[in-house]
Amino acid sequence: MNCTIYLLAVVNMPLYAKILIPAGILFVLGAIFAAVLSFLSKRFTVEQDPRVEEVNNLLSGANCGGCGYAGCAAFAIALVDGKADLGSCSATSKENKDKIAEVLGTVNCCEDFIYVVACNGGNSCSDKYTYQGYGDCRSMELLASGSKACPVGCMGMGSCVDACARHAAVVNNKTGHADIVQEKCVKCGLCAKACPKGLIVKIPSDAKVYVACKSHEKGKDVRAVCKGGCIACSICVKNCPHGAISIIDNLAVIDYSKCTGCSICAEKCPSKCIIKR
Amino acid sequence: MSTFFLIIIGSVFVNNFVLNQFLGICPFIGVSRKTETALGMGFAVIFVMAIASVFTYIVNQYILVPLGLDGFMQTIAFILIIAALVQSVEIIIKKFSPSLYSALGVYLPLITTNCAVLGVALLNITKAYVLWQAFFNGIFAGVGFTIAIVLLAGIREGMKRADIPENFKGFPITLIAAAIMSMAFGAFSGMFGL
Repeated sequence: MNCTIYLLAVVNMPLYAKILIPAGILFVLGAIFAAVLSFLSKRFTVEQDPRVEEVNNLLSGANCGGCGYAGCAAFAIALVDGKADLGSCSATSKENKDKIAEVLGTVNCCEDFIYVVACNGGNSCSDKYTYQGYGDCRSMELLASGSKACPVGCMGMGSCVDACARHAAVVNNKTGHADIVQEKCVKCGLCAKACPKGLIVKIPSDAKVYVACKSHEKGKDVRAVCKGGCIACSICVKNCPHGAISIIDNLAVIDYSKCTGCSICAEKCPSKCIIKR
Repeated sequence: MSTFFLIIIGSVFVNNFVLNQFLGICPFIGVSRKTETALGMGFAVIFVMAIASVFTYIVNQYILVPLGLDGFMQTIAFILIIAALVQSVEIIIKKFSPSLYSALGVYLPLITTNCAVLGVALLNITKAYVLWQAFFNGIFAGVGFTIAIVLLAGIREGMKRADIPENFKGFPITLIAAAIMSMAFGAFSGMFGL
């Protein structure tokens, strides 16, 4: 049998054969391996839910990790497995979440929202003591709940700024409290988790006004420490033409289902803690 | 029979692919963080090396040599064979052990370009082994690789608890450990005239 193969010996071949035979051998080898591989990939195919790919394409792709999973792809797998809740993603737009809910056959319960800082104090809130220490709200919080006289006031040390990878959380030197720059915010919620006072809150994205105070102290006590806090004077409640505002536990609360965004409350508020966006 | 033992000793200790011939360093450093993944990688390499030795031997002996093409066709033909083998190993591992698949990560397809695999195929030809010798040389070259990578993984796991200066942490101390291991294996060199 070897003789027949030796007859093919390339040594005495013309040039074109010297080139074509090696190329042909490689082609045949490649074809054989391709056939084997395609058989194997059919035989040992790993079933992946086609919805995973679909959901992954609809997610924002921000890979912010706000949902607690390692990136959007891992979140998509968890969503399809029913282990994760669509609400824990804050970066994906409402339309896409609706589409994902359609793919998964679930109902999208999630409102479209934005993050705002619910404190209007900052520099207009007085200090209990002068803080000299590590520049972080969480370490300041350990010292008698922070240097601000208000127990829920923004301390302006910028833990939210450190937490935000998009530079959307900023501490304004003029006002002395944190702000969220909406154009940069991807709504990952890391700042809200970082704030020891829980001052960074969600409001509906179409809300025109919000209450920038979280103090449930009596009006007199609030006035004593902070010029920008809610004193529960009820002026907003009386002036709201739609009855959307109520005072609950010494704090104005806006019912966004009734609010039309007329912003009369923001104009009338004496301490200017209802803020018009 | 003595050839058999000489092949074992030779490819596992004396001519250890990683520590004495410095082939396959990439996965040696890359996948040696945990002993389990190192062992998985080792077995994958043993498998690929053993099969690749046989296939490359057959292709070389019965196709390339008779046609007088073995001079310049060896490398490309062998790479083709190894690539196909690695791909099939990848498909099989993905099916049967997804955790091992994700632990090996990019290093599994990188076995394709692991010079240790190509090295064993070419050395089989250089040393003029016959088929069974090539097969066992492939297996035990893989075993040598596995021993080296598992030892390094063990050392690296131990080093996690050690108080290492900041600037030596991570890869620098790993490279130093690998160098010391390599020197230790250097004691085998020249043994049995291999």
